[in-house]
This record gives sequence, structure tokens and C-alpha cells, in this order.
Amino acid sequence: MIELGRQAILIALLIAAYSIVMALLGGWTRRRDFVASAENGALAVWGAVLVAATILLHALVTRDFSIEYVAAYSSSTLPLYYSIAALWGGQKGSLLFWALILTSFSAVVVLQNRHRHRELMPYVVATLMSIALFFLCLLFFITPPFETLAVPAREGRDLNPLLQNYWMTIHPPSLYLGFVGMSVPFAFAIAALATGKLDTTWIRTTRRWTLFAWFFLSLGNLFGALWAYEVLGWGGYWAWDPVENAAFMPWLTGTAFLHSVMVQEKKNMLKVWNMVLIIMTFSLTIFGTFLTRSGVISSVHSFTQSGLGPFFLGFLALILVVSISLLLLRLPMLRSEAELDSLLSRESTFLFNNLILVGIAFAVFWGTMFPVISEAVRGVKITVGPPFFNKVNAPLGLILLFLMGVGPVIAWRRASWAHLRRTFAAPVTTGLVAGAACFIGGIRNYWAIVSFSLIFFVLATIFVEFYRGVRARQAMVGDNFLRALVQLISRNRRRYGGYIVHIGIVMIFVAITGTSAFRIEKQVTLNVGEIFEIGGYELRYDGLEERDTLHIAYLMARLEVYENGNHVDTLLPEKRFYKKPEQPTTEVAIRSTLGSDLYLVLGSYDAETRMATILAYLNPLIGFLYWGGAVLTLGTFVVILPVGATAPAAAYTASPIEATETRVSSR
Amino acid sequence: MKRNYKFGIGAILLVSSIAYLMYAGVEQSSAYYFTIDEFLPRRGAMAGEGLRLAGRVAPGSLVSNTSSKGTEMTFRVGDFTDDAIAEVDTIPVEYTGIVPDMFAEGRDVIIEGTYEDGILHAKSVMTSCPSKYEPELEGQQAAAY
Repeated sequence: MIELGRQAILIALLIAAYSIVMALLGGWTRRRDFVASAENGALAVWGAVLVAATILLHALVTRDFSIEYVAAYSSSTLPLYYSIAALWGGQKGSLLFWALILTSFSAVVVLQNRHRHRELMPYVVATLMSIALFFLCLLFFITPPFETLAVPAREGRDLNPLLQNYWMTIHPPSLYLGFVGMSVPFAFAIAALATGKLDTTWIRTTRRWTLFAWFFLSLGNLFGALWAYEVLGWGGYWAWDPVENAAFMPWLTGTAFLHSVMVQEKKNMLKVWNMVLIIMTFSLTIFGTFLTRSGVISSVHSFTQSGLGPFFLGFLALILVVSISLLLLRLPMLRSEAELDSLLSRESTFLFNNLILVGIAFAVFWGTMFPVISEAVRGVKITVGPPFFNKVNAPLGLILLFLMGVGPVIAWRRASWAHLRRTFAAPVTTGLVAGAACFIGGIRNYWAIVSFSLIFFVLATIFVEFYRGVRARQAMVGDNFLRALVQLISRNRRRYGGYIVHIGIVMIFVAITGTSAFRIEKQVTLNVGEIFEIGGYELRYDGLEERDTLHIAYLMARLEVYENGNHVDTLLPEKRFYKKPEQPTTEVAIRSTLGSDLYLVLGSYDAETRMATILAYLNPLIGFLYWGGAVLTLGTFVVILPVGATAPAAAYTASPIEATETRVSSR
Repeated sequence: MKRNYKFGIGAILLVSSIAYLMYAGVEQSSAYYFTIDEFLPRRGAMAGEGLRLAGRVAPGSLVSNTSSKGTEMTFRVGDFTDDAIAEVDTIPVEYTGIVPDMFAEGRDVIIEGTYEDGILHAKSVMTSCPSKYEPELEGQQAAAY
């Protein structure tokens, strides 16, 4: 079995190389049979990688400790759920998992385009297979996942306890789906450049892929934040750690790309810019992997350094050289066919949105790379901390929030004053009223006031859009409100789904504002029976409790929570002692209510005196992080899922329906 | 063209304010990053500067005391080596607060704080976690488990 896994990777590697050659030859000589062979090759690569991944998964699930990887990342007492997650718990497995996703996507692209985009496809296949070839080479030559131990281990070393968490099992897969998903629009962009077919075909055909990748990138970042919040025990969810930044940067440029392609579709502008954005986004996914694997930047919860850094750097250089050369070659053909008409237009709002997103990405890049840059320039490593990122990104984030209200509803080309007044009078008023209400309500943090005003402004613009749409439908068709709403959304899912995604993002802004402006933090060391107070709660420490199981020993501090003199909850923040590998971890206890989270950490304790140091946090509005993610998901589904009738699709499917009807009648 | 020019001004304003924010942010939150062996020869010049020091907690140096003020601890950090280190090659650290679970003598740490009167006053202590992903070197692997 193990030998078969190794062979499968070798076979996949050889076929991928073959596919690249045949695709390029086929594209160059316009031999259809060559291209078809390359495409079949891509399917075969997928099959071979699937075999390899299945074998590794099987070994993990059956706990075959003769394989080094299985012995390192699972154990006989590890639950099945985490045994499966161990597939992406270690470096070798995660590279194989990456290759599996990439080749699966390639296969889907090939099958989707059997009869479409015949000119583009050779180069699409060549690009995708080149990326696959890189990962397969790593898997075969550098980090083979099927290495066996000379003497099979009697027991595995178990998955890192920090990774034995719900969010951690779904965080890496979603991030990978996002990272790898960006390869598809990138491959089509390269194909467009290579063939000179530079119209919007490559954008339209990859729109779903881009959205899909963006969605999983968003979820991946969000899951990572929730994991940090629930597991790492420092009370927050985002620390601007290099590992987090590595995943955040492609999200930023990907978001910019998602918006700016709309301008190209509508106005035939920004062609070069869109190329630059997708090249940047894809490069950042590879760069992020380089950053986390190479140890160039020391990160606190970092991946241990490995020898993979130079390979990723080399691959990144290759990507940049090839794509920038192609871009420069086609530059004359990419001239805009239209110009900006006015500063007050949707085009220019989108452009500013793009500038800010890329600006944030650049600032994050700069802050992350600052130690390397300063060492090169001044010979000393200088690091910048979270205050740098917050200081730069808070104002930029607020401008972005503002543009999120303006962009979707301002007129294309040129907005007249009458249009502006009609569109924005109500939302601006709403925003101002909300700001005033915050001030009257006693909030004196001006960042928070501005943020809440903008949040209500954006929500009002979206509400007005829905309201007007529904009223118009009701007037036209006479439906009831709910039916009109459903019809409205399903007739223009891209637009209204987009609004729903925006609502999700606004909710995430609510959580960020709440936690960064109003967070309360307290550290107390208590004797048994002592009471402390935080944000309206009174907590009494009732001593330490112990519990022992086969896998883990627990030590819990019992805290009784009172609100207005009433007992409302019992919280038990823990220390856990995993038995193999012997490792203590901290398990936080959280009381979630609509308005805020009470978050307790058992910092340390004295076994003799039973004194305990408790870290307590009150995180206002953090629940919006979860709900924002859910709304974002809903909005993406509305846009992306091929269900329900959309106006253009309805026309498109007309003939098959007719065909069915004829068949029915003839029977 | 005139309107593109307006947009250009807007873009330049935006880009320069991003540049300013970045400059101000760096001024405000930068800290020197050294390993202990890099830091030792320069410590004279580093009084009062923001520092992030990476090193290993010297075995046998950790003293901690929990009172109602919290857990106060002192320890020394030296270079990343398993060999015995002379006390002159280490830096004494004072810290009050919570340390990560992985913190112990002989562990690799990153300490944020300021260096004054020959003592590193730590604001935070972080451990560099060795086991999230697989260490490349076999020796390191053996040490990690």
C-alpha cells in the first residue's frame, strides 16, 4: 500500500510534466489531439493524487504507525475525527492535501470546458499543471509523506493538542480551498495573456471560481480568528502575527480583484489593473506559504522552520517573471477603451476601494517584512507590533466602510447632485443620527462613534435598495412583501447576494469596533472564596477541581458568576495536561450573551495555597464575528449557487425545457 | 483628461496618507529584535529601548512567587544551546504576569520589554511553539518530544 502511494505521486508527477509539454505544443501548433491528451493527462494526475491521498488517509484512520507521518501526527487514542484532520495536521500531509485540491480543481476546469474556451484551455491546463508539478516535486523529492520507520512505532506521538479543536479542523481546509481556488482565475489570466484573447472572457468564465476562492479565504481567516480566540487564551482573536497576515494579504487583493473586474465587465476599463491584481493575489498565496514555512520571519505561533523556503521562493520568482513578462508583452493590447468621466461615479469609487485594499495589503506586507527590510537597510532587525497595524489599518478600514456604502449604489459614469441627494439623503441622516445617539448614550471613543455612524450609513443604503426594489415589484406584480423580496433577490442574485455579503462584512466591523474600543481586561490573583468584579459581573472563586482521564488530566478553577446579585453561570477555566506528548494547554471558559462575552483564563495557580491567577476579559459585540460569518456565507450562496431562476439564465435554459416537453409529448 | 487629473490628485492624497500612517506607525511601535548573543555586546546602548529578545531560559534559574499581586518571577535567558552557559552570558529577566503553557526552564522564548540597570523588565513572555508543524531536523524532533 505504502509503495503504491509513493508510486502514485511519481506517476502524477510524470503525467503532469507530460501534460504541460502537450498543452504548450498543442496550443502552439493548434493540434486539437495534443490538447485533448494534455487535458486527459490532467484528469489522470487528479486520479493518481487521489489514490495517494486516500492511502495516507487510510493509514491515518487505521493507525498504521509504521509510517513516519502517521506516527508523528496521530495516536491510538486520538478520536477518528482528528485522525482525519491529521491529514492536514503536518507539513507533508498538508502539501499532499494541497496537491489534491489543486488537481481536483484542474479536473473540474477541464470537464467544465470540454467544449468551451478552446483557445484558452491549452494554457490554462499548462499553468495549472505547472503549479501541480511544483507541489508534486516537493512531495516526491523533498517531503515524501510515505516514509516508513525502520522499526514501526508502538504508539503515535499524537496530534498537537492545540490543533485538537473544532475550528482547527476546518480552518486549514478552507484556507487551502481559498488559496488553491485563486489558481483558477490566475490560470485563465495567464491563458488570456498568452493567447492575446484579452476581452472579458477570462473574467466572466472564472467569476464563480473567484467568488468560491474568496469565500473560502474569508472563512479560513475567520475560522483562524475564532480558533485563536477560543484556544490561545489571550482574550483576542487577531494579533497581526505573520502567519495571520500571510492569509490576510491575498484576501485583501482578492477582494479588490472581485470588485474591479465588475468595472472591466461594465466599462472595459482597468484591464491591466485586473491582471496585476490576480497575479498579485496568486503570488501572495504562494508567498504566504513561503513566509510560514521558511522561518524568514519569526512568528509566535509559528510553523517550525523547514527546508522548503528556498523552493517556494524560487517558484514565486518564476511565477512573477513569467506573468510580468507576459503582461509587459501584451501591454499595448490592454489599453483602456474608456476613461473616467467623473470623480463622483461608481468607477472611481471602485478604484478608490481598490487603492485602499491594496494599500492595506501593502501596509500589512511592510509591517510583516519590516524585520527583513530593516536588517537589509540598517543591519538591525526591527519588528513592529500590533499597534503599527492597528494605527495604519483603522482609518483605512473606516474609509473602506464608507465606500462600501457609496460604491454599490452611486451611478456609473457620473452622478448628478440630484441623484446623490435622492440616494444618500436617508442613509446619511441615519448615520448621523446613529453617531449622535452613540454620543448621547455616553460613548466618548471617537473612533467608535465614527465607526458606528458609518455602519448605520452602510446598512441604510442597503436597506433602501431592498426597500425600493420590493416596493417596485409590489407595484408591478402585486405580490405580498415576502414573495416580492424573494423574487427580487432571485431575479438579481449577483446584486442582492452582494448586498447580503456586505451586511456580513458590516457585522464583522461591528465586532471589530466593539472589541477594540470597549474591551475590558483584568488580571486578579485570588484566594479561595474571594470575589472580583468585571463589567457588571461579580465572580467568586471557589477553588480548584481535578479530573483524570486516559488521554488528558484536567485542573479546573470554579468560578460562580453573579449579575445583579443573581447567580447566572458557573465557569470552569482549565489547565489540561495531555499525556502524549506531555504538554499542558489552557482551556478558556466563555459565557456568551447577545451583547458580550465574559472570557476567563486560568493563568496560573499555586498547588499548596490553592491561589489562582485569573485573567478575565469582557469582549463586547464579539458575537457579531460569528454571525457576520454566517451572513457572509448566506450572501455568497445566494450569488454562487446555481438554483432558482435568474433573468439571463432563464432565457438560456429555455430550449432544453422545450426539448423535454417535446419528448414528453411524443411519448 | 481634466477629470482623470482630479482622480490622480485623490489617489496621490490617499497614497501619501497611507505612507504617513505607515511612517507614524513604525515610529510608534518598533522594537529591536535580537537573539541573546546578538544583544550581549550591544546591551550598553540599549537602555530604555523597546526590545524583543529571543533566547532560551537557563536551567535552574527560574524563581517564582505567587501572591495577591500575581505571580512574580525572575529567570535568566541565554543563547540557544543545550550546553551549560556561564551566568555572564545570560540576561536576568523580571516578569509579573501569566506565562504561556509551554514556558519552562530550557524552553525557547521571545521576551518583550525594556532593558534597564542590567535587568530586562519583561512586558510579555512568549514561547516559540516547536510542534505545530514538523521540525525538519531529526535532532530537533527528538528534543521537541
